[in-house]
Amino acid sequence: MVYQMLMNGALAGLIYVIMALGFTMIFGIMRIVNFAHGEFYMIGAFVVLLLFGSLGLPFFAAVLAGGVAAAVLGMVLERLLFRRLVHDEMPGMIMSLAVAIILKSLGLITFGPAEHTVPRPFTGTWQAFGAVAPWDRTVVAICALIILAIFYLFLKHSRLGLAMKAVAQDPETASLMGVKSGQIYRAAFGVACLLAGLAGALMAPIYNVGPYMGEMPMLKAFVVVILGGLGSILGAVVGGLLLGLSEAFLSTLLSPLAALIASFAMVLIVVIVRPNGLLGRTAR
Amino acid sequence: MRKTYLAYLIVAALATLPWVVGGRYVFHVATMITIMIPLALSLNLMLKVGQLSLAQAAFMGIGAYGAVLLTMRLDFPPMLSVFAGGLLAAATAAICGPVFLRIKGVYFALLTFAFGQIVNLVFQEWTSLFGGNSGIYGIPKLSVFGMRFSTTQHYYLFGLVFCAVCYVALRLLERSEIGRIFQALKEDETLSRSLGSNALAWRVAAFVGSALIAGIAGGIYGFYIGFLSPDAFTFWLSVDLIVMNVVGGATSVLGPVLGAIFIVPLPEFLREARAFQLLIYGVVLIIFLVLIKDGLVTLFERRKPG
Repeated sequence: MVYQMLMNGALAGLIYVIMALGFTMIFGIMRIVNFAHGEFYMIGAFVVLLLFGSLGLPFFAAVLAGGVAAAVLGMVLERLLFRRLVHDEMPGMIMSLAVAIILKSLGLITFGPAEHTVPRPFTGTWQAFGAVAPWDRTVVAICALIILAIFYLFLKHSRLGLAMKAVAQDPETASLMGVKSGQIYRAAFGVACLLAGLAGALMAPIYNVGPYMGEMPMLKAFVVVILGGLGSILGAVVGGLLLGLSEAFLSTLLSPLAALIASFAMVLIVVIVRPNGLLGRTAR
Repeated sequence: MRKTYLAYLIVAALATLPWVVGGRYVFHVATMITIMIPLALSLNLMLKVGQLSLAQAAFMGIGAYGAVLLTMRLDFPPMLSVFAGGLLAAATAAICGPVFLRIKGVYFALLTFAFGQIVNLVFQEWTSLFGGNSGIYGIPKLSVFGMRFSTTQHYYLFGLVFCAVCYVALRLLERSEIGRIFQALKEDETLSRSLGSNALAWRVAAFVGSALIAGIAGGIYGFYIGFLSPDAFTFWLSVDLIVMNVVGGATSVLGPVLGAIFIVPLPEFLREARAFQLLIYGVVLIIFLVLIKDGLVTLFERRKPG
């Protein structure tokens, strides 16, 4: 039972981590709260619905295409709409809400309000320590781990990744060192939307695909980043796993609604005790 | 400021328009405007202290469900329930506010978003009390001094009175010393705290006031529509209120009023599809954010230097 809950929690938590990473990165670098993050998740899922569900392309090709589609759209929108509002928190939030409304309505217009099912590329289950895990969720978790590893290497070792971290820590000094902030904003938005799109694409066969599918993952991402500290990469990882595990335990023992309320209570406690999140920077 | 009177004249003329045009449907749209104006004003009150609240729809829902259930389960007179519902929303804000407002700005927006989602989930899942997604039917009509509100016109008149009360209250607040404290808090918190204002207490007071207005508007809505379901109080309603404030102009109290008058009837021209309505809201919002930054209200105000 405990192993089962641990397993469920880890499988769910990894997707929360992927969602929260992009969200926290956009905030850390651009100071923009992206309320449209769930809509980029939706776009990834719709691409899988089209390419894999309808056209029958290979699943992983469709997933990659979903991520890339979200990333390209993210970069275009960043240049057109968000660039002018960098570091301007309130208008930035409102702009992201406008983008969220438009993307959602386009989803509604194109695919209708009903939810669509995507056939499962993987079926069956496997067992360890008496805990049962379905293969489809396991594949999602493995992919999430691979994405996380690539993301980690990208931040730690690529020039672009290092430049991003520099801009997040101190934009002025970074620009003195020759980092072009515009490029960094575009790249950060692109990578964040890529992560959201990949998450949605991977989850498409597990949950139903519809225009409202992005709301719950976005709520979870918000909870995760407040838990971990807004702008903190490590905080997003810790917060995501913490949320996944606590939800798995509480929804098994009590109910899914109780788990959600408990996660909100957890957020409030963190806000009272450590206002900058568990791993947020304290200097502010 | 001469031009402000022009705006008042236009609003007053629009308020009498339903009687000129006539028809049940026109009165329905007009009544919805009078319900949305106080809600847009309640968000404006939070914007005055520099905070974006995404919980206004939840407070409206708490007021609506609270009022309707008080009447249907405990036999409260409907009119008393409307105000009790407002107080219930205000009490919720008074409990949550001190925690939500400890950290401001982005965190406040995220916390109120999560709060709104969870309140809505409670409406959906606690079926024995709130009726779940199938909602609550058979809500009785409002009545004042024994006179039942039997037609839409009655609700419209009542809504107009409530709008006027909210507008005057917020206008007086804006001009009073409290208004200056709010403005100082928004512009330079450290400085205003050094002058002795208790930042947290004033912010919580604004939050409680805005929840009270939203809750009462919710109660009126509940008795007017006669049917309650959770999807009337989602996050997207809070977004609509932001659209009204941006379109009208959030810097003035008149702004949200103009915004609501402009925005609420808009979807009526394309009643068929919620999708196109969202699309139009989004496009309008971006146009105003990028091109007409201070909203419609600038048409009626002297240009400020600089």
